[in-house]
Amino acid sequence: MDHAIEARSLSKDFGDFRAVDQFTFTVEPGEIFGLLGPNGAGKTTTLRMLSGLLQPTEGQSFITGFSMQSQKLEARRQLGFLTGDMDLYRRLTPTELLTYFGKLYEVPATELQTRVSNLIDAFGIGDFKDKHCEKLSTGQKQRVSIARTLVHNPKVVVLDEPTTGLDIMASEFILQFIRRMAKEEGKAVIFSTHHLDEVERLCDRIAIMHKGKLAQMGTVGDVKNSTNHQNLAESFFQLVEG
Amino acid sequence: MNFNLIKTIYFKELREVLRDQRMLFLVILMPFFLYPVLFTIMGSLGKSQAEKIGKETITVLMSPEAESTAIYNTLKQDPTLDLQLKAFDRATIDTAKNTIGIILEEGYKERLRNNNTAGIQILGDQSRDLIEGRTNKIRTQIEQISQQILQERLTAVQLEPTFVEPIKISTVDVAPKEAKFGKIVGGFLPLLLLLFIFMGSVYIAIDITAGEKERKTLQTLFTAPVKIREIIAGKFLAVFTVGIVSAMMNLLSLVVAFMIQVKLLGGNMSKIALAISPQGAIWLILLVLFSTIFIAALCLGVVLLANSYKEAQSYVSPLMMLVLIPCLLVNMPGMELNASTAFIPVFNIGLAFASIVKGTFDTGLVALVTAFTVLYAFLALYLSSLIFNNENVVTGEQVSWKAIFRR
Repeated sequence: MDHAIEARSLSKDFGDFRAVDQFTFTVEPGEIFGLLGPNGAGKTTTLRMLSGLLQPTEGQSFITGFSMQSQKLEARRQLGFLTGDMDLYRRLTPTELLTYFGKLYEVPATELQTRVSNLIDAFGIGDFKDKHCEKLSTGQKQRVSIARTLVHNPKVVVLDEPTTGLDIMASEFILQFIRRMAKEEGKAVIFSTHHLDEVERLCDRIAIMHKGKLAQMGTVGDVKNSTNHQNLAESFFQLVEG
Repeated sequence: MNFNLIKTIYFKELREVLRDQRMLFLVILMPFFLYPVLFTIMGSLGKSQAEKIGKETITVLMSPEAESTAIYNTLKQDPTLDLQLKAFDRATIDTAKNTIGIILEEGYKERLRNNNTAGIQILGDQSRDLIEGRTNKIRTQIEQISQQILQERLTAVQLEPTFVEPIKISTVDVAPKEAKFGKIVGGFLPLLLLLFIFMGSVYIAIDITAGEKERKTLQTLFTAPVKIREIIAGKFLAVFTVGIVSAMMNLLSLVVAFMIQVKLLGGNMSKIALAISPQGAIWLILLVLFSTIFIAALCLGVVLLANSYKEAQSYVSPLMMLVLIPCLLVNMPGMELNASTAFIPVFNIGLAFASIVKGTFDTGLVALVTAFTVLYAFLALYLSSLIFNNENVVTGEQVSWKAIFRR
């Protein structure tokens, strides 16, 4: 059976600089996979290669068995993708924005309205669903952004630092939602963050990247054991500082 | 190509434009009110200035020997002239304000009596509208007096006025009505029209490319299951629509402003008919459409290279020069639409526009211009697709030309 996500020896060069070097991993349906690393470790480049925004210099990525390099449209239909480099259309309302992306993902017209109103309810967007996105708070925008990644009901969701800049309440809301969509709906989730407490609470497995390479991969317990530390932060620092 | 996706992107872009008050003001409202207001203000200012020049009193100095001459007696009747008989030199006129000096040649009266030519010098600062206008008026009055003297001299020797005018030349203009007005309009219409299309296209092109990069919304679109050419088609159609609407609004506004001005100045619009044949009108519409396609595609491709609104705006001036300079060259003497000029981008459009407005166009050549414009539009769209396909466009890195053509 195909993995929900498969990165096969992914490498990316920018000129003479190798940003990601031979990175291989898989994520299964219902699994929350944490991608960790200091700034410049290659996390965002890896995620961009997974989504097809960047072409790998070497290797391939697959979403539910579809190659992101040779079957891009099919692969993208299975993927909900959100990074910090993605914002909302300022002059659209959340309802219009969700409908727009629903149409781009070719959600049948008969289902789209229901899907949009379900997401508006699930993310508590109702109070500001008809306000232009430019007038929303950071937390409100992030709820709309995550709702946008789910409008086509993807099997795979990639979230790059989804809680950055949010207060504790907004962060908790997002984390609970990530847990529900993996554990109740069986979606595979890649979750990249700098908050190690969130990783410990949420992730089934993690991969720590350093200078473009995989430094360690496994469950949080595996990583702690392999570095002989009691908490993840100490393990992380040991792996990235040597 | 999935036309539903193109339609979805197109309508979303238009919806955003319609909600952008700055863009609406720049593209539609400003042109609609600009020309009538501007023309009315300029017309009123011009009119009041002309009236002021006609009524303001100026000083005219004449040498004392001018007393009792026909010229002195005629100018004395003019209430707007403060006529003074006194000796003066050039330095007096240089330093005096609102003053004209009239110097009669030595022995002026004697020379006239002896049927000789008597010289008159009019001194004044011709760089000033008031002095220039009055000098011309005085000159006309003196010429009339000269004609009277000539008449008297001819009568004295029993000759008819025809004696001094052996040949009378008159010119008959056989140019068609549309060519006469078209010569005037054809010179600047292509320039204005292409400028309006450009101004309308370039700002929305910036907004939906570099603006989207800056606002971090382009990546979201690129992760959707949409082909690059569908994204380009949707965005291009939006730029095209705004470009053509802007051009039409500008033209309409210009016509309204022109009509208001003609009415204010007491003119008759029916005498200023621009007679374009039905065939010419069809070619004109086709050319406007294809020019808009070309300019919209060009704008889209070029501003896509920028990573921010500010950077994209720095591309506007060179692009505008690229569009306007060929149009200005259309007005140079000897510029004609022919087999050689029909393929020069933009210049060919200007020449074709001018020839249609003048009513002197060759169908084959205008068709050739249209074909080349379509070809250039597709080349510009192809360039856009190459740029869109470059991953640096998505990541916000500088897009190099070398990388664009390396597939």
